[in-house]
Amino acid sequence: MWLDDDPPLRKQDLQMTAPYVNTPGSLGFSPDIRTTPFITSLGAFITNPISRRPRQPANNRCCLPFEGGFLLHTGWPNPGIRNVIKHHRRRWANAPLPVIAHLLIDSPNTLADMVRMLEGLENLIAIELGLPLDCDAAQLEDLMEAAFGELPIIPCLQADQIPVLQETLIAQHPAAVHLLPPRGSLPVEGDETVSGRLYGSAMFPIQLRALQTLAARGLRLIVSGGVSETWQSDAMLKAGAMAVGLDHALWSVDQRSLFPTLE
Amino acid sequence: MAATTAKLIEVFQSGQERSGVLDLPGSQWPQAGQYLPCQRDDDSIIQPLPINLFRVIGPESGLSVSPLPENWLPGDQLNLLPPHGNGFIIPESARRVGLLAFEVPPLRLLPLIKPALAQNASLTLFIDPHKDKDILNWIPSIVEIVPLSAFAENLSWLDYLAVDLPLERLNALSAILGDTKLTFSGQVLLRTAMPCHGVGECGVCSVKTQHGWRFICKDGPVFPLAEVINVAG
Repeated sequence: MWLDDDPPLRKQDLQMTAPYVNTPGSLGFSPDIRTTPFITSLGAFITNPISRRPRQPANNRCCLPFEGGFLLHTGWPNPGIRNVIKHHRRRWANAPLPVIAHLLIDSPNTLADMVRMLEGLENLIAIELGLPLDCDAAQLEDLMEAAFGELPIIPCLQADQIPVLQETLIAQHPAAVHLLPPRGSLPVEGDETVSGRLYGSAMFPIQLRALQTLAARGLRLIVSGGVSETWQSDAMLKAGAMAVGLDHALWSVDQRSLFPTLE
Repeated sequence: MAATTAKLIEVFQSGQERSGVLDLPGSQWPQAGQYLPCQRDDDSIIQPLPINLFRVIGPESGLSVSPLPENWLPGDQLNLLPPHGNGFIIPESARRVGLLAFEVPPLRLLPLIKPALAQNASLTLFIDPHKDKDILNWIPSIVEIVPLSAFAENLSWLDYLAVDLPLERLNALSAILGDTKLTFSGQVLLRTAMPCHGVGECGVCSVKTQHGWRFICKDGPVFPLAEVINVAG
């Protein structure tokens, strides 16, 4: 009867019809079926990172290839949350798949404001929190509290943040955790180095290992990084991911290796 | 946006760039300045990003494109997307056309020679002739070759100017053109990495224009000259 063993479905739970999402920063601020015909193969669309105020591109923005992938440094340019909502709320509402907004966080106060602006928007099913790189357990608690509201919250972290944040994450019991690709640095001209997000197949083993660590603790996980073929996404799902985040693979010319259903 | 396939039928060297010929139907050819995001079959692991191929001048057996990665060989099957972005358009009224290859080989400008000559325009190519000696073989003798150093002296001659330059040299071009209003129309092909070819709005190819920040991959890669020169950033 209705008193079964399954845990009840809460308002803050996250439901997706397909176990794939795009990584924030990979498909823009709203889904566009003209440029991405595979979009309906995803379970949800994650927006590019959105900040409280407009952000300009980094002065030293670059894309640096290396064996096994590439480093991307952009500074997460975006027009700020007010402009993003103004330009994209209708596209989100009419999208053929649910939308998750990815937020860049300054402080708990501004985060609370941003979350309130997003609540009530049609077809928006969750909010991702792009945690600061130096986020500690206390800050994570503050941010989760500030973001608490009508929508499920998905904190996003990188593999090297797991030791610092995993106990708090388990205690907070978020709707899901999104493991993002790691960051790294590469030398450029002169004595300079550039730091940025790392993409490419070299990230896959790192992310699979991080997934295994967190899945063993009972967290619901979305894992991004290094997936460009179906055997890789299958391995992630088998290891306990609720969804696989696709990044650079969505920029490849032929999507049939990712989504065989497009054949 | 549906991908199509083409075979790489020939590889050739143009100056310092490795170029190739594709057996692509003419209806799918890009304009000069537009680009074709392209990947070789089964390359997704070793070459994770598409190569953005530009139309260049070359053998007439097919569509000549550049730059080709070292490991692409004749016979390779390539997956490619339809032409992306805005290309060069020479105004019909232009009778004195300049092509300026600013610290880059002039390959991507040379496909403009034919249409310019077809509208009876006089053509001047501003290049560094020492660097690009091999490429001179592809240029008809009717085109005047002028060293880059003489470009600033010839501004008053121009009706239209097509420029090819790396994004980081945009300020250097602005300095040569000065801050007075241009007396000619012009377009500029801005070269930079475009890893997401517009799909992700990733922002790495952002350029500040008179109308705010724009993506080179989507809003360019060819921009009206007046829109991007003398804009800080």
